[in-house]
Amino acid sequence: MTFLIQQTLLYAVPLMIVALAGVFAERSGIINLALEGIMIFGAFIGVLFVHSMQNLEVFTTAAREGDWLTLQGLELLAMVVAAIMGAIFSLLLSFASINLRADQTIGGTALNLLAPALVLFLIRVLANQNTLQMQTGDAASWFMIKKSTFGVKKSVDWGFFGETFLNKVYIATYICIIIFIVLAIILYKTKFGLRLRSCGENPQAADSLGINVYKMRYIGTTISGALAGMGGFVYSLTTANCTANGDVAGFGFLALAVMIFGNWKPLNIAGASLLFGLFKCIAAAYSSIDINGDGVYWLAEIGISSHLYRMLPYLVTLVVLAFTSKKSRAPKAEGIPYDKGSR
Amino acid sequence: MKKILAFLLAALMVVGLFAGCAPADNDDTTKAPDSTTAPEGETTQGGDSTEPTETPALSADDIPDEMTSEDGKYQIAFVTDVGQLKDKSFNQGTFDGVKLYAAEAGKSYKYYQPAGGNEATDDDRYDAMKLAADNGAEVVVCAGFMQEKALAKAAEEFPDVKFVFIDGWAMGRTNVAGINFQEEQCGYLAGYAAVKEGYTKLGFSGGGGGTNAACNRYGYGFVQGVDAAAKELGVKVEMNYSWLYGSNFSASNELQTMAAGWYQTGTEVIFACGGAMFQSISAAASAEDGAVIGVDVDQSYESPAVITSAMKGIGEAAMQALKAAETEESWNAFIGDGTTSITLGAKDNAVGLPTATWSLEGWSVEEYEAMLADIVAGKITIDNADVPEPASTENVTVNIVK
Repeated sequence: MTFLIQQTLLYAVPLMIVALAGVFAERSGIINLALEGIMIFGAFIGVLFVHSMQNLEVFTTAAREGDWLTLQGLELLAMVVAAIMGAIFSLLLSFASINLRADQTIGGTALNLLAPALVLFLIRVLANQNTLQMQTGDAASWFMIKKSTFGVKKSVDWGFFGETFLNKVYIATYICIIIFIVLAIILYKTKFGLRLRSCGENPQAADSLGINVYKMRYIGTTISGALAGMGGFVYSLTTANCTANGDVAGFGFLALAVMIFGNWKPLNIAGASLLFGLFKCIAAAYSSIDINGDGVYWLAEIGISSHLYRMLPYLVTLVVLAFTSKKSRAPKAEGIPYDKGSR
Repeated sequence: MKKILAFLLAALMVVGLFAGCAPADNDDTTKAPDSTTAPEGETTQGGDSTEPTETPALSADDIPDEMTSEDGKYQIAFVTDVGQLKDKSFNQGTFDGVKLYAAEAGKSYKYYQPAGGNEATDDDRYDAMKLAADNGAEVVVCAGFMQEKALAKAAEEFPDVKFVFIDGWAMGRTNVAGINFQEEQCGYLAGYAAVKEGYTKLGFSGGGGGTNAACNRYGYGFVQGVDAAAKELGVKVEMNYSWLYGSNFSASNELQTMAAGWYQTGTEVIFACGGAMFQSISAAASAEDGAVIGVDVDQSYESPAVITSAMKGIGEAAMQALKAAETEESWNAFIGDGTTSITLGAKDNAVGLPTATWSLEGWSVEEYEAMLADIVAGKITIDNADVPEPASTENVTVNIVK
């Protein structure tokens, strides 16, 4: 059970945060199809940051002497850098779709095409190969929080809660969850959130009340870019051993699906990404999942073909979407460039 | 202000466009074969280029991966297998041998990664070989059995160019040297070592989906070694055996989750047998405090989780072949009539475990060397059949994970 929850979180958290990125953009009226591209870019920036900072004296000593606080600091810094660069990258989309009133779908697709090419090119220039890795060590030994991090023996039992949520976890996971909650509250419970959402529903009305629609849309897309960039790095840190290769296994597009699936509402999105993460985890590790802890791996023993397990995440998404999409309601004004003249 | 911003953005987009084209350029290095004029402005390719003759041949890592030859010709070419050049395993190990030889002999060298990455087609590989030949290659070293079709075509078209087929076989042509290894021997040694070390729950995660003969031999040898040690110690051993998520020898989050699941359910050590798949397995091992057995080259530098590595002398094989290619006589002596593959094993000192970084406590270097000698002498026979799914034995339960 512990294993299942931990692995599910690893898959679900990047999805969740990137889907929220989509919500912020779309609620302000901009369709952000570029989530995948921004994630790729963010993952690259984050890994590059870690890669180039690793050589610094302070971090090499920290890694050698097990000074985990410093290493967590490096991880957080990398997240921040990835977020900033993601935000900057997303400005391309904002500029094209807000100032130039370009078609947002095409703008996003352009960024999706640009990002992997640019990233691969830079990796080749920088590292002379197709994948950028950490210079030494791996993600788990540098950044993962384990019992041994605190000098506790492996045999000490921390109970279910401790074993699941404190042992073998990345701090990035929790930071993302906190950011998710804070931003969800901001979106729904603050003046700013209301204004942002109004720009995605009826920008003309919002403008008539003195809200600067362009500014709001810029803010929405920039927050979106920052979240997607950070999500990209978190993805590569927790599930790809802190490597960047111009690919995030389609998580950006999955996040879009999760966003639609979650009906543009944070709580539903969290649920949807957990569901998807759960099935993704079952698909990869069904043979070693012990649900009730009795040592029987019945998922493997009931004799269902492994291909079915591997189909499950997508099957479930299809089925649930088929049932829920009737109620799905996108922000009304998304995708339409705001034109003051048409008020 | 707006105009400046618009201009900057436009400029960035344009740069991005070119960025899209550049990797292809970099891959194939479209240098026209007009060799008489020394190309200008090419001195800083890759940023760290040096003449090979100026580089003292100490370690392969000190020799730059890219160099610029004065006449624009590259005498020795290396065409990579799937996976990346710096995979810290198969490609890199072979290329290290190429570089070392080139540096010693003062020859120019160049690597070619077939376009298409892990989905490279035979045409992509052929294009890379043709480009190598057009760039003046005298010897083309091709890594990986997947190069067969492209190599057959290229070898026929360029009869004057010598081809070295690492992990391959003879093709009945006098310009192709097919070199393969007795991977079952080092797999055997690694499996034996793991059980001697006290591990009883093992894992094998291989690349190529069960169709790569080299990986199959590694795996089958591993099982035989485990079986031998288990019999000797009278213990029961369980083994997870999988070809999942390895079809293109790359790391993936699914593989990492699977490996984490194995460690979680008691697996103590996993034999990561497939290039960059090592990344995923070692990440899972570090997280779950498990152990890893590396492959092809000594991978103990990659992760503290590595207990030993099943090595084969890919670099040395490349060096030997390149040395043989210097003159026609030595080349003919090396490959014979071109119909027999060159098989390197323990007798050629081409497979084994790394003794310099030995960290095993249950099995000493002396015992290892004694066993290696027994293998050379033929006292221990290891089946080298191509068995993708080994059967369980009395002491070893092999659980094929599908």
